[in-house]
Amino acid sequence: MRIHNKYIVSLVITSCVINALLVFFGQDNIEIYYTVNITTYLAVTLLYICPNPRAKIALNPVGTVLFAGFILTGVFKAMNILSVR
Amino acid sequence: MGLGFCLAGTVFAPISYFIISSVPLAAIGISTIVIGFVCIALANTRPYVSPEACQLILKTGMENTSALLEELGIRNKAVYLPSTVSNGHQKALIPLVENKEIQIVKGKIPDRLIVRYGINPDDMAIAVTTPGSININMLETKPGPTSGEIEAAATYILMGVLDIATSVAVKLTDNRVDIDVSGSRLHYEDIWYYRCLGSPIASIVAAISSEALQKPIRISEESYNRGKSSIVLEVLS
Repeated sequence: MRIHNKYIVSLVITSCVINALLVFFGQDNIEIYYTVNITTYLAVTLLYICPNPRAKIALNPVGTVLFAGFILTGVFKAMNILSVR
Repeated sequence: MGLGFCLAGTVFAPISYFIISSVPLAAIGISTIVIGFVCIALANTRPYVSPEACQLILKTGMENTSALLEELGIRNKAVYLPSTVSNGHQKALIPLVENKEIQIVKGKIPDRLIVRYGINPDDMAIAVTTPGSININMLETKPGPTSGEIEAAATYILMGVLDIATSVAVKLTDNRVDIDVSGSRLHYEDIWYYRCLGSPIASIVAAISSEALQKPIRISEESYNRGKSSIVLEVLS
């Protein structure tokens, strides 16, 4: 199996397992699901640290956008907490 | 496929969250969008030239070099030299005289086909560019003279860039480098070209080791057994 195919299969399997675990533990907050899934994506991508240089360049924007969403989620959560106080 | 995943996720996620009010299904929709973007990004990294075209070019080069070696009756094993000895381009020298062993290379090697590498009249060799010579330019930084750095460089080229192996292990002793490559897709064949220059994988690791150690390297042994290529490199002083 090619390295790119292994990477996609790892990403799919890890996402499925993570989501199944979150459902099993009765998690009902969409922000938690998003945060955990983004962390999973970043971790799996980091593990495959030797892809083709062109693949690295192509995946950088995806990681940047998702990480930006993760930061935004954190910011909104912080604003919620501060406004409640 | 990536576009399909993205579209499916984009439709599924809001329907799951706002209409069905199911957070887990919405999370699956979001994961589907992420995987779709990854597939689209990776699809755009496919090489511009098809594998068949690459194989055509590789075989043409190999057959030409093979014809030259056979015509001259050269059976000696090539010595891979670091790029500092050969004007910035990594080269391999094949001695013209039968059973001649290159131990010392004096001065820089000129950029020609037939070169003199020593002071004796019969210190003549053919200087060729090998698959290893071309691939060394793909390294972002030059590896250092340790087994860890040679292994990292070989892993980067063989697994990351070329995707022709599944794992690489390097063991470095005083004048010997032992390399085990698992899952190699370019095996050793008992043909003239490979007997002189080594298989493409051996050529690549020899070039990397030569560049890392800044010493001439010769492929002394190469074997293939149960999906694993074992390569032994001799470090010449």
